[in-house]
Amino acid sequence: MTNFTLSKVDLNAFIKSLSKNFDVYAPVKDHVVDGGSVRFKVVSDAKVICLSENAYYPLKELFFRKKEVLFKYSEKGLEVPVKKVKSKAILGIRRCDLHSLANQDRIYMREVPDPYYIAEREKTLLIGYHCKKAEEYCFCGSIDLQGNADIMLYELPGNKFLVEVHSDNALRLVESLKKIFKKTDIVIDAESRKIEGSNRLQKKDVHSFYDNPGWQEGIDKCLSCAACNFHCPSCYCFNIHDEANVHNMKEGERIRTWAGCQLKSFTRVAGEHIFRDTRKDRFRHRIYHQLQYFKERYGTTLCSGCGRCIRFCPTKIDFIDILNRM
Amino acid sequence: MAKKDKKPVVGFYGLTGCAGCLLSFIFNENEIVSLLGMVDLAAFPFIKGKQGDKEFDIIFLEGVVCSNDDLDMLKKLRAKTKILVSLGACASTGCIPAYRNFIDEAKYLPLMYEKVHRIKDKDPKPIDAYVHVDFTIPGCPPNREEVKSFIKQLILGKTPRLYNDPVCVECKLNGNHCLLDEGKICLGPITRGGCDSVCTNGRFECWGCRGPCPDANYEAFIALIKDKGHNSRTLKERMQSFAGLKLPDELQIEDAPDYVG
Ligand code: SF4
Ligand code: SF4
Repeated sequence: MTNFTLSKVDLNAFIKSLSKNFDVYAPVKDHVVDGGSVRFKVVSDAKVICLSENAYYPLKELFFRKKEVLFKYSEKGLEVPVKKVKSKAILGIRRCDLHSLANQDRIYMREVPDPYYIAEREKTLLIGYHCKKAEEYCFCGSIDLQGNADIMLYELPGNKFLVEVHSDNALRLVESLKKIFKKTDIVIDAESRKIEGSNRLQKKDVHSFYDNPGWQEGIDKCLSCAACNFHCPSCYCFNIHDEANVHNMKEGERIRTWAGCQLKSFTRVAGEHIFRDTRKDRFRHRIYHQLQYFKERYGTTLCSGCGRCIRFCPTKIDFIDILNRM
Repeated sequence: MAKKDKKPVVGFYGLTGCAGCLLSFIFNENEIVSLLGMVDLAAFPFIKGKQGDKEFDIIFLEGVVCSNDDLDMLKKLRAKTKILVSLGACASTGCIPAYRNFIDEAKYLPLMYEKVHRIKDKDPKPIDAYVHVDFTIPGCPPNREEVKSFIKQLILGKTPRLYNDPVCVECKLNGNHCLLDEGKICLGPITRGGCDSVCTNGRFECWGCRGPCPDANYEAFIALIKDKGHNSRTLKERMQSFAGLKLPDELQIEDAPDYVG
């Protein structure tokens, strides 16, 4: 497909025009309410966008909702809520988050089609951003990244983006905005698709490490707080519970919420048995699911190398470093 | 609807405390009429003029045992009810009043009511130090949602379940920025959640009012806080404020600071 350029000065005009048909989300840094962290928020002005840091919480919460009412029950039967969702355009998604989103799509759109996820996700326009330099804990260069955006933005000298278009819808959109998207012959070569300094994980095959004493160092520092699960753009596990209506206890809602495998409660089953009772089992399981089990099943790692589970771990357990030393 | 005579007979009582935990039931203002309709309320200081003296199915009890009167009442109530629920931090951990256990007597005696000498009868203790407790609803005060959901579950014939995950879980689900990463001493990772992270939602660090999380990794947590430049004494004092006598023995401070004057 043809490439285009977009001057950063015109980013605002682009957002204004997207806003006619979409809720436009982009990373925003806020010191007052978010302690200086970056979040995906609805924006109407390019001024507030922060592309220099990856978002604190991942994108998945826009599709795989933290809390979803699956249905209402009563003596009359079940009522599944109909979701009225305005299409989303999300700008500034990094390669790692595109990989994770592709994994979430695999689970919730193809493996087990989930109407709640699909309602949020379909008609979404993804505008990716190729970050130039890895942050301290990133290791996306060690991951075989999958996933595509409709539009991909690359930094160009001269306060510009190079714009790659990957879908027909996106092409129609870009071509309809001739004033701001200019055709160009510039192409991104393989070298420029790499991200500097992000190839931290050397031991990618973790098969033989299961009983390695090296894990202990991480386990000893683990608080089992599940921050790693909730900051992870890929983790997709959930709990389900019923909430009876206090005014009529024969009615109520069945509710799905995010779950975290680092918690004991995650593997509590009937009879109060907890099958991953030790911190060791839980800690190791997360890494194995991310790097091995998912790959065995679907051919790609669940992990995207975004490094959030290390960066936002209270004790900064660097499992990449731990693996490399095994 | 259950038949009228099948409704559980419920009582709310308080030992030494501030009555705030009893209020956490009343704070369900939009649902209180329905909640009261589910039970036969036989005792509640704010609601009933005369407190019933019958057999109870469930008694919710707040407050700490710190006098012989408290202990007598606790034993009587235990004998009168099938299910005893410890309501709130004082009843569950000893909470702030339990601090007296760690202070030199000479330091607090002058602070006591001069004419009511029986107050110094007993060292303050949570109710399970003396009697069997069937369920605990922790918190200073408890989360009104939890009180409501507890009653609903009992009515539905389910076994109410204590929330065992740390505060961090709800804090993350509420989208907060971690206060530990801002250098503050937040007790979230070692504290039992279920409060909907109400403090950290307001960017105030968790002080542990719901007592220790059963899966707490104290060693790692203390090392982390020291690493952030706080001393372990400050941390232990804070941990002890609300977790009271439920903090593991090795973490208790025996000589709490002199707050007098
Ligand atoms: S964020 Fe860190 S401390 Fe918390 S559960 Fe994950 S690895 Fe353990
Ligand atoms: S602010 Fe406190 S409760 Fe919230 S995640 Fe951080 S340590 Fe846990």
